[in-house]
Amino acid sequence: MPYKCVHCSEIYDDGSKEVLEGCGKCKSKFFFYIKQEKLKEILENKEIPALSTAEKKQMEKDVRDIVGAKNDENPIFLDFESIKVLKPGKYLLDLGKLFEMNKPRVYQLEDGKYIVDFTSQRINMGKEE
Amino acid sequence: MIRILKNFSKRILAALFRRKREIKIGFYGPPNAGKTSLANRICKDWTGEEIGVVSKIPHETRHVQFKEKVEIKHKGRKLTFKIVDTPGIATKIDYEDFMHYGMKKKDSKKRAKEATQGIIESIQWLDDMDAIVVVLDATENPYSQVNITIIGNIVARKIPVLLVANKIDLKNANVKKFESTFPEYELVGISAKEGTNMDEFYEALFRLSKKV
Repeated sequence: MPYKCVHCSEIYDDGSKEVLEGCGKCKSKFFFYIKQEKLKEILENKEIPALSTAEKKQMEKDVRDIVGAKNDENPIFLDFESIKVLKPGKYLLDLGKLFEMNKPRVYQLEDGKYIVDFTSQRINMGKEE
Repeated sequence: MIRILKNFSKRILAALFRRKREIKIGFYGPPNAGKTSLANRICKDWTGEEIGVVSKIPHETRHVQFKEKVEIKHKGRKLTFKIVDTPGIATKIDYEDFMHYGMKKKDSKKRAKEATQGIIESIQWLDDMDAIVVVLDATENPYSQVNITIIGNIVARKIPVLLVANKIDLKNANVKKFESTFPEYELVGISAKEGTNMDEFYEALFRLSKKV
Protein backbone atom coordinates (compact mmCIF):
# COMPACT_ATOMS: atom_id res chain seq x y z
CA MET A 1 0.00 0.00 0.00
CA PRO A 2 1.41 3.44 -0.85
CA TYR A 3 1.77 6.42 1.45
CA LYS A 4 1.26 10.06 0.71
CA CYS A 5 2.94 12.92 2.55
CA VAL A 6 0.24 15.04 4.21
CA HIS A 7 2.21 18.24 3.76
CA CYS A 8 3.59 18.09 0.20
CA SER A 9 1.53 15.25 -1.37
CA GLU A 10 4.58 13.22 -2.47
CA ILE A 11 3.69 9.54 -2.86
CA TYR A 12 5.85 6.64 -1.67
CA ASP A 13 5.53 2.89 -2.06
CA ASP A 14 5.09 0.66 0.94
CA GLY A 15 8.48 -0.16 2.42
CA SER A 16 10.15 3.03 1.16
CA LYS A 17 12.82 4.35 3.50
CA GLU A 18 11.26 7.82 3.27
CA VAL A 19 8.15 6.55 5.04
CA LEU A 20 10.18 5.88 8.18
CA GLU A 21 12.95 8.43 7.82
CA GLY A 22 10.89 11.35 6.57
CA CYS A 23 9.60 12.65 3.25
CA GLY A 24 12.43 13.15 0.72
CA LYS A 25 10.90 16.43 -0.41
CA CYS A 26 9.74 18.20 2.78
CA LYS A 27 11.15 15.94 5.58
CA SER A 28 7.70 15.52 7.14
CA LYS A 29 6.94 12.28 9.01
CA PHE A 30 3.19 12.57 8.69
CA PHE A 31 1.67 10.39 5.98
CA PHE A 32 -1.66 9.31 4.67
CA TYR A 33 -1.99 5.59 4.18
CA ILE A 34 -3.65 5.06 0.84
CA LYS A 35 -5.74 2.09 -0.11
CA GLN A 36 -4.62 0.71 -3.48
CA GLU A 37 -8.02 1.25 -5.05
CA LYS A 38 -7.90 4.92 -4.07
CA LEU A 39 -4.43 5.53 -5.47
CA LYS A 40 -5.57 6.14 -9.05
CA GLU A 41 -8.09 8.77 -7.99
CA ILE A 42 -5.48 10.48 -5.81
CA LEU A 43 -2.92 10.47 -8.61
CA GLU A 44 -5.54 12.11 -10.80
CA ASN A 45 -5.89 14.78 -8.12
CA LYS A 46 -9.51 13.97 -7.53
CA GLU A 47 -9.07 13.64 -3.82
CA ILE A 48 -6.78 16.37 -2.69
CA PRO A 49 -8.03 17.61 0.66
CA ALA A 50 -8.98 21.27 0.68
CA LEU A 51 -6.82 22.19 3.66
CA SER A 52 -4.48 25.10 3.98
CA THR A 53 -0.84 24.65 4.99
CA ALA A 54 -1.65 26.05 8.43
CA GLU A 55 -4.55 23.63 8.81
CA LYS A 56 -2.34 20.67 7.86
CA LYS A 57 0.27 21.76 10.41
CA GLN A 58 -2.42 22.19 13.07
CA MET A 59 -3.87 18.80 12.20
CA GLU A 60 -0.51 17.08 12.60
CA LYS A 61 -0.02 18.80 15.94
CA ASP A 62 -3.52 17.82 17.09
CA VAL A 63 -3.11 14.22 15.98
CA ARG A 64 0.28 13.96 17.72
CA ASP A 65 -1.24 15.43 20.89
CA ILE A 66 -4.26 13.15 20.77
CA VAL A 67 -2.28 9.97 20.32
CA GLY A 68 0.33 11.09 22.85
CA ALA A 69 3.22 10.99 20.37
CA LYS A 70 5.56 13.33 22.20
CA ASN A 71 8.50 12.66 19.93
CA ASP A 72 8.14 14.48 16.61
CA GLU A 73 10.74 12.13 15.15
CA ASN A 74 8.27 9.23 15.14
CA PRO A 75 6.44 8.86 11.84
CA ILE A 76 2.66 8.88 11.98
CA PHE A 77 0.57 7.11 9.40
CA LEU A 78 -3.01 8.08 8.90
CA ASP A 79 -4.71 4.74 8.54
CA PHE A 80 -8.05 3.09 9.29
CA GLU A 81 -11.04 5.06 10.20
CA SER A 82 -11.68 5.18 13.91
CA ILE A 83 -11.22 8.93 14.30
CA LYS A 84 -11.98 11.26 11.46
CA VAL A 85 -10.48 14.73 11.66
CA LEU A 86 -12.80 16.84 9.58
CA LYS A 87 -10.66 19.87 10.33
CA PRO A 88 -8.96 21.10 13.48
CA GLY A 89 -11.59 21.02 16.23
CA LYS A 90 -14.05 18.75 14.42
CA TYR A 91 -13.79 15.03 15.01
CA LEU A 92 -15.93 12.01 14.21
CA LEU A 93 -15.26 8.86 16.20
CA ASP A 94 -16.10 5.30 15.28
CA LEU A 95 -16.58 3.88 18.76
CA GLY A 96 -16.91 0.30 17.55
CA LYS A 97 -13.41 0.47 16.11
CA LEU A 98 -11.99 2.39 19.06
CA PHE A 99 -13.22 -0.32 21.41
CA GLU A 100 -11.43 -2.97 19.35
CA MET A 101 -8.22 -2.51 21.22
CA ASN A 102 -6.16 -4.80 19.02
CA LYS A 103 -6.79 -2.77 15.91
CA PRO A 104 -4.88 0.39 15.07
CA ARG A 105 -6.63 3.64 15.76
CA VAL A 106 -7.31 5.91 12.89
CA TYR A 107 -7.64 9.48 11.89
CA GLN A 108 -9.33 10.34 8.70
CA LEU A 109 -9.30 13.62 6.93
CA GLU A 110 -12.11 14.92 4.80
CA ASP A 111 -13.96 12.10 3.10
CA GLY A 112 -12.72 8.84 4.50
CA LYS A 113 -9.35 8.36 2.89
CA TYR A 114 -6.85 9.14 5.53
CA ILE A 115 -6.00 7.36 8.67
CA VAL A 116 -3.60 7.23 11.59
CA ASP A 117 -2.10 3.95 12.66
CA PHE A 118 -0.58 4.54 16.02
CA THR A 119 -0.01 0.97 17.10
CA SER A 120 3.68 1.72 16.87
CA GLN A 121 3.25 4.67 19.20
CA ARG A 122 3.34 3.58 22.82
CA ILE A 123 0.68 5.72 24.32
CA ASN A 124 1.45 6.93 27.80
CA MET A 125 -1.35 8.68 29.55
CA GLY A 126 -0.36 7.92 33.09
CA LYS A 127 -2.43 4.76 33.04
CA GLU A 128 -1.63 2.04 35.51
CA GLU A 129 -0.07 -1.14 34.23
CA MET B 1 -10.39 -13.34 22.63
CA ILE B 2 -7.03 -13.19 24.46
CA ARG B 3 -8.24 -10.06 26.22
CA ILE B 4 -11.45 -11.75 27.32
CA LEU B 5 -9.52 -14.75 28.68
CA LYS B 6 -7.07 -12.39 30.42
CA ASN B 7 -9.95 -10.51 32.01
CA PHE B 8 -11.61 -13.73 33.02
CA SER B 9 -8.47 -15.08 34.70
CA LYS B 10 -7.93 -11.68 36.36
CA ARG B 11 -11.42 -11.94 37.78
CA ILE B 12 -10.85 -15.53 39.00
CA LEU B 13 -7.66 -14.41 40.79
CA ALA B 14 -9.48 -11.39 42.14
CA ALA B 15 -12.17 -13.65 43.52
CA LEU B 16 -9.54 -15.76 45.30
CA PHE B 17 -8.14 -12.69 47.03
CA ARG B 18 -11.48 -10.95 47.35
CA ARG B 19 -11.90 -8.12 49.78
CA LYS B 20 -8.18 -7.80 50.39
CA ARG B 21 -7.87 -4.98 47.94
CA GLU B 22 -9.96 -2.06 46.77
CA ILE B 23 -12.48 -2.58 44.01
CA LYS B 24 -11.92 -0.41 40.94
CA ILE B 25 -15.24 1.02 39.83
CA GLY B 26 -15.30 2.96 36.57
CA PHE B 27 -17.97 5.56 35.83
CA TYR B 28 -18.64 5.51 32.11
CA GLY B 29 -21.23 7.07 29.86
CA PRO B 30 -22.02 9.78 27.35
CA PRO B 31 -21.04 13.42 28.06
CA ASN B 32 -23.16 15.40 30.51
CA ALA B 33 -24.98 12.35 31.91
CA GLY B 34 -23.71 13.14 35.41
CA LYS B 35 -20.76 10.80 35.90
CA THR B 36 -18.73 13.37 37.81
CA SER B 37 -21.81 14.51 39.77
CA LEU B 38 -22.38 10.93 40.93
CA ALA B 39 -18.68 10.30 41.62
CA ASN B 40 -18.59 13.60 43.55
CA ARG B 41 -21.62 12.65 45.62
CA ILE B 42 -20.10 9.28 46.55
CA CYS B 43 -16.68 10.76 47.35
CA LYS B 44 -18.22 13.65 49.30
CA ASP B 45 -20.45 11.25 51.26
CA TRP B 46 -17.59 8.97 52.28
CA THR B 47 -14.38 11.02 52.17
CA GLY B 48 -15.63 14.59 52.47
CA GLU B 49 -13.86 15.56 49.24
CA GLU B 50 -15.07 15.82 45.68
CA ILE B 51 -13.36 14.20 42.70
CA GLY B 52 -13.80 16.81 39.94
CA VAL B 53 -15.50 19.86 38.55
CA VAL B 54 -18.93 19.70 36.89
CA SER B 55 -20.21 22.01 34.18
CA LYS B 56 -23.16 22.55 31.89
CA ILE B 57 -20.77 22.58 28.94
CA PRO B 58 -20.23 19.01 27.69
CA HIS B 59 -16.81 17.32 28.02
CA GLU B 60 -15.83 19.13 31.22
CA THR B 61 -14.00 15.95 32.30
CA ARG B 62 -11.31 15.41 29.70
CA HIS B 63 -8.93 13.22 31.68
CA VAL B 64 -9.54 10.18 33.82
CA GLN B 65 -9.69 11.23 37.48
CA PHE B 66 -9.85 8.95 40.47
CA LYS B 67 -10.05 8.76 44.22
CA GLU B 68 -8.54 5.84 46.08
CA LYS B 69 -9.52 4.12 49.32
CA VAL B 70 -13.13 5.27 49.35
CA GLU B 71 -14.63 3.22 52.16
CA ILE B 72 -18.37 2.74 51.82
CA LYS B 73 -20.48 1.29 54.60
CA HIS B 74 -23.93 -0.02 53.83
CA LYS B 75 -26.22 -2.03 56.12
CA GLY B 76 -23.38 -3.22 58.33
CA ARG B 77 -21.12 -4.14 55.43
CA LYS B 78 -18.01 -2.27 54.40
CA LEU B 79 -16.18 -2.19 51.05
CA THR B 80 -13.23 -0.14 49.80
CA PHE B 81 -13.38 1.30 46.31
CA LYS B 82 -11.19 3.14 43.89
CA ILE B 83 -13.62 5.51 42.17
CA VAL B 84 -12.59 6.16 38.57
CA ASP B 85 -14.42 8.99 36.80
CA THR B 86 -13.90 8.96 33.03
CA PRO B 87 -14.41 11.51 30.22
CA GLY B 88 -17.73 11.22 28.39
CA ILE B 89 -17.78 9.01 25.31
CA ALA B 90 -19.24 10.49 22.12
CA THR B 91 -19.20 9.80 18.39
CA LYS B 92 -18.85 13.42 17.35
CA ILE B 93 -16.87 16.31 18.79
CA ASP B 94 -17.37 19.71 17.20
CA TYR B 95 -15.79 22.85 18.61
CA GLU B 96 -18.75 24.90 17.36
CA ASP B 97 -20.98 23.13 19.90
CA PHE B 98 -18.84 24.63 22.67
CA MET B 99 -19.03 28.08 21.11
CA HIS B 100 -22.82 27.97 21.62
CA TYR B 101 -22.06 28.05 25.35
CA GLY B 102 -20.12 31.29 24.89
CA MET B 103 -16.63 29.80 24.64
CA LYS B 104 -14.08 31.44 22.38
CA LYS B 105 -13.11 29.69 19.11
CA LYS B 106 -9.55 28.96 20.21
CA ASP B 107 -10.63 27.54 23.57
CA SER B 108 -13.39 25.53 21.89
CA LYS B 109 -10.94 23.90 19.48
CA LYS B 110 -8.62 23.05 22.36
CA ARG B 111 -11.52 21.57 24.29
CA ALA B 112 -12.53 19.50 21.22
CA LYS B 113 -9.03 18.08 20.87
CA GLU B 114 -8.79 17.27 24.56
CA ALA B 115 -12.27 15.71 24.54
CA THR B 116 -11.24 13.41 21.68
CA GLN B 117 -8.10 12.48 23.60
CA GLY B 118 -10.30 11.88 26.66
CA ILE B 119 -12.48 9.40 24.81
CA ILE B 120 -9.43 7.34 23.84
CA GLU B 121 -8.23 7.52 27.44
CA SER B 122 -11.60 6.32 28.76
CA ILE B 123 -11.54 3.33 26.45
CA GLN B 124 -7.95 2.52 27.37
CA TRP B 125 -8.86 2.34 31.06
CA LEU B 126 -11.79 0.01 30.49
CA ASP B 127 -9.84 -3.22 30.87
CA ASP B 128 -8.42 -2.10 34.22
CA MET B 129 -11.85 -1.86 35.80
CA ASP B 130 -13.23 -4.51 38.16
CA ALA B 131 -16.79 -3.29 37.60
CA ILE B 132 -18.47 -0.45 35.79
CA VAL B 133 -21.32 1.92 36.51
CA VAL B 134 -22.74 3.29 33.25
CA VAL B 135 -24.31 6.67 33.95
CA LEU B 136 -27.06 7.63 31.51
CA ASP B 137 -29.17 10.76 31.25
CA ALA B 138 -32.76 9.75 32.08
CA THR B 139 -34.14 12.67 30.07
CA GLU B 140 -32.51 11.49 26.82
CA ASN B 141 -33.34 8.70 24.39
CA PRO B 142 -31.88 5.51 25.92
CA TYR B 143 -31.44 3.81 22.56
CA SER B 144 -28.47 5.84 21.32
CA GLN B 145 -25.43 4.51 19.47
CA VAL B 146 -23.15 5.65 22.28
CA ASN B 147 -25.17 3.92 25.02
CA ILE B 148 -25.49 0.69 23.09
CA THR B 149 -21.80 0.64 22.11
CA ILE B 150 -20.57 1.35 25.65
CA ILE B 151 -22.80 -1.25 27.29
CA GLY B 152 -22.19 -3.83 24.54
CA ASN B 153 -18.43 -3.52 24.82
CA ILE B 154 -18.42 -3.73 28.62
CA VAL B 155 -20.56 -6.87 28.50
CA ALA B 156 -18.36 -8.38 25.74
CA ARG B 157 -15.37 -7.94 28.06
CA LYS B 158 -17.30 -9.73 30.84
CA ILE B 159 -16.95 -6.79 33.22
CA PRO B 160 -19.84 -6.63 35.73
CA VAL B 161 -22.04 -3.62 34.97
CA LEU B 162 -24.69 -1.52 36.70
CA LEU B 163 -26.78 1.02 34.81
CA VAL B 164 -27.79 4.31 36.41
CA ALA B 165 -30.49 6.53 34.93
CA ASN B 166 -29.52 9.92 36.35
CA LYS B 167 -31.40 13.23 36.59
CA ILE B 168 -34.71 11.79 37.81
CA ASP B 169 -35.29 15.15 39.50
CA LEU B 170 -36.07 16.58 36.06
CA LYS B 171 -39.65 16.54 34.79
CA ASN B 172 -38.93 14.82 31.49
CA ALA B 173 -36.91 11.95 33.02
CA ASN B 174 -38.26 8.54 32.06
CA VAL B 175 -36.63 5.67 33.98
CA LYS B 176 -39.23 3.16 32.75
CA LYS B 177 -38.12 3.75 29.18
CA PHE B 178 -34.53 2.86 30.19
CA GLU B 179 -35.70 -0.23 32.06
CA SER B 180 -37.55 -1.48 29.01
CA THR B 181 -34.61 -0.70 26.71
CA PHE B 182 -32.12 -2.58 28.89
CA PRO B 183 -34.23 -5.25 30.63
CA GLU B 184 -31.30 -7.67 31.05
CA TYR B 185 -29.29 -5.29 33.25
CA GLU B 186 -29.80 -3.98 36.76
CA LEU B 187 -30.77 -0.32 36.54
CA VAL B 188 -31.27 2.27 39.26
CA GLY B 189 -32.91 5.68 38.77
CA ILE B 190 -31.22 8.42 40.80
CA SER B 191 -30.58 12.12 41.00
CA ALA B 192 -26.89 12.62 41.76
CA LYS B 193 -27.52 16.34 42.10
CA GLU B 194 -30.31 16.00 44.67
CA GLY B 195 -29.07 12.76 46.22
CA THR B 196 -32.34 10.98 45.46
CA ASN B 197 -32.41 7.17 45.67
CA MET B 198 -28.79 6.90 46.78
CA ASP B 199 -29.65 4.12 49.24
CA GLU B 200 -30.95 2.03 46.38
CA PHE B 201 -27.81 2.89 44.40
CA TYR B 202 -25.47 1.76 47.20
CA GLU B 203 -27.48 -1.44 47.57
CA ALA B 204 -27.00 -2.11 43.84
CA LEU B 205 -23.31 -1.15 44.05
CA PHE B 206 -22.74 -3.76 46.76
CA ARG B 207 -24.58 -6.36 44.67
CA LEU B 208 -22.38 -5.39 41.72
CA SER B 209 -19.24 -5.80 43.86
CA LYS B 210 -20.20 -9.38 44.63
CA LYS B 211 -19.84 -10.15 40.92
CA VAL B 212 -16.22 -8.96 40.89
